Amino acid sequence: MSAPPVPKLLRDHLSTLADNDERLDGRSRFEGRDLNIEVGILPRAEGSAKVTMGDTIVYAGVKFQTMTPYPDRPASGGFMTSAEVRPVCGRHWEAGPPSEEAIELGRVVDRGIRESGCLDMSDLCILPGEKAWQVILDLFAISDDGNLFDAFATAGIAALRTAIIPGERFDVGEDRPLPISKSPIMCSYHRVGGRYVYDANIREEIGGDERIHITLSDDGHVHSLQKGLKGVFTADEFYEIMDHAKQRTEAIQAIINSLEVN
Amino acid sequence: MSQSSAAEGRDGRGQTLVTPGQSLGPAEGRTAGNGLVVTERGMIVTSAGVLVQNGNTMDVEPHYTRYTPRPADLIIGVIESVRNNLWFVDILGPFNALLPMSLGPAKADFGGTRQIIDVGETILCRIQEVEETHACVVTMKGLGLRKIQSGIIESIPPHLVKKVLTATMVKNLKSSTDCRIIVAENGRVWVEGPTHGQHMARTFFDAVRNGADDGELDILVAGFLDGGAE
Amino acid sequence: MGGYGDVQMIDADGKRVDGRGAGDMRPMTIEVGVIPVADGSARVTWGTNEVVAAVYGPMEAHPRKIQKQDRAVLDVRYNMAPFSTTDRMRPGFNRRSREIGKVTRDAFESVVLTELYPRSKIRVEIEVLTAEAGTRCAGINAASVALADAGIPMTDMVVSVASGKINGTVVCDLNKEEDNNGEADLPMGILPNSGELVFLQMDGDLSPAEFKEAWDYNMDAASGIHDIMVAALNAAHGGES
Repeated sequence: MSAPPVPKLLRDHLSTLADNDERLDGRSRFEGRDLNIEVGILPRAEGSAKVTMGDTIVYAGVKFQTMTPYPDRPASGGFMTSAEVRPVCGRHWEAGPPSEEAIELGRVVDRGIRESGCLDMSDLCILPGEKAWQVILDLFAISDDGNLFDAFATAGIAALRTAIIPGERFDVGEDRPLPISKSPIMCSYHRVGGRYVYDANIREEIGGDERIHITLSDDGHVHSLQKGLKGVFTADEFYEIMDHAKQRTEAIQAIINSLEVN
Repeated sequence: MSQSSAAEGRDGRGQTLVTPGQSLGPAEGRTAGNGLVVTERGMIVTSAGVLVQNGNTMDVEPHYTRYTPRPADLIIGVIESVRNNLWFVDILGPFNALLPMSLGPAKADFGGTRQIIDVGETILCRIQEVEETHACVVTMKGLGLRKIQSGIIESIPPHLVKKVLTATMVKNLKSSTDCRIIVAENGRVWVEGPTHGQHMARTFFDAVRNGADDGELDILVAGFLDGGAE
Repeated sequence: MGGYGDVQMIDADGKRVDGRGAGDMRPMTIEVGVIPVADGSARVTWGTNEVVAAVYGPMEAHPRKIQKQDRAVLDVRYNMAPFSTTDRMRPGFNRRSREIGKVTRDAFESVVLTELYPRSKIRVEIEVLTAEAGTRCAGINAASVALADAGIPMTDMVVSVASGKINGTVVCDLNKEEDNNGEADLPMGILPNSGELVFLQMDGDLSPAEFKEAWDYNMDAASGIHDIMVAALNAAHGGES
């Protein structure tokens, strides 16, 4: 990403807004933008989702390949996440090899899903020691208006939950749904104008400072935390955010768990 | 090739919508204005927009443009980078403009350029000239030109500046929001005043960006005068 | 390309496997402004194809060495998303995509008024979300509309479609099976208001008469595609056409 310098006026303005408990687009501190999730929209993927959060638009596609199991885990399959943030999605994203930002995006989302244990790797075994399924989650942004983290994570779990293992196409059995036992959800908070806000848009990201990404799943279990960029936060700030993350996670899980492919 | 009626659409207000490549027939005494060229095929549309006739000149008001620098335009720019004796200014145009030390707000010693204006600062300046090679120079020497150090900056597509931000509209907006407002040709607008006034101004510019027409905007501004958006 | 008669794709009545006649194009839709953060954008669905294009610019051309003194540089990228094909497409450098980006850029160089923006850059980003033959044509069509949506001045739109030959019969707009098993493929990029060509490729075997037939199918289809483009652009601005 080729970040232009942050206009000082923007930072000053964000500070003033924060002091008055306001945000640039009129949202309240912990209010998210309009969230829209569609599943089953990519016909060549075995599972797919499109997530829109305000003007941020991303796709997630689940593709299956077969692999030889690792020698130390002969009855396990594999899971891999790849995130692409191509120049299509913003003025400041450049062509070239994956940027640090894109790599971090993919890895943070991957950890949230993997650490939740929602995917049972032994479920992916086809023939112990010889063949297993590899699940590949491809995250693909087409419009970046901020908070690609949550958009990717939400699209990722929605796609996984509605994925079908293509047994017939690979001639190893019948098609069956990919077993996913829970829905890990990521909530991201950026420090903007001095305080943490939820679901920052691009101007808040540009004019803001450090960020925290929290992945929770069922019963509020924490599966992944990531703090990005330099800056510090207090224990009080953290628990305030955590409270919101719990509520928001439940709300999004309710949506995800009720999604069906048409 | 394409002669069907879809090639000459009309919008809800009966205006003629045109698309690139569309032929308006032989020039026949009409002058090709904005968004039009004359070729062997006659007068051809080059920009998607609304076709307008101004006397003998045909113009296309584009649906969307980025800013194109013209001499004497008032600009709100943001400093992108600094060299010795020179600032590069983002003017929301096809390329950055140059602000040489000689046309800046003050003179500096070697290495002191950033002390005068730093990267990320916002300035009110004017296009001094657009050279043949289309390098563009701005100046801060002139009445009212200065660093902007307070208030907020809003952005609208530049072609809406003339269309929507008429003298009357800006006057009404100023009095209803109780704010100082400076409109720059490159689509940036500076607003400074009481918090609720800036808030109302932001609501106004959101409406402009979302395609509100003059009537809707007049109603919005009148609403501000009646005591605010809430 | 496969061989003559390998796979039966068109019957004695001239009906193709998906029900189309020889001269019929797959259904196409175009939507404008689908990528809100871009200066211009469009989505094209064509059969099962889904392609989006975003345009940014004109903007500062970085690095300086790519700048041209007398005109804007057209920076065109064509890419297929990993989930766009049945067998996953690995992200990263792809020769086919690079070639398509280049010929697409060449096509638009002929119509975009780059002289109006010296030393700057206009970016065109084409992304294939789902592929079903004819993606390079769909990409060009999406890019045309995205450029118009971004207010980039052009002397014409570029309209692209591919015709070919299956089981010895010339047909319009090959689908995936026809492309894989057919005997010829002729994609073209046409300027609808002048009938001129800015893009032309060909694979396979066509007699002079067959070539003309495929050429004519493309020209006819281009007219219909252009109507869809114009309707999409006008509809985005309150048009009723």
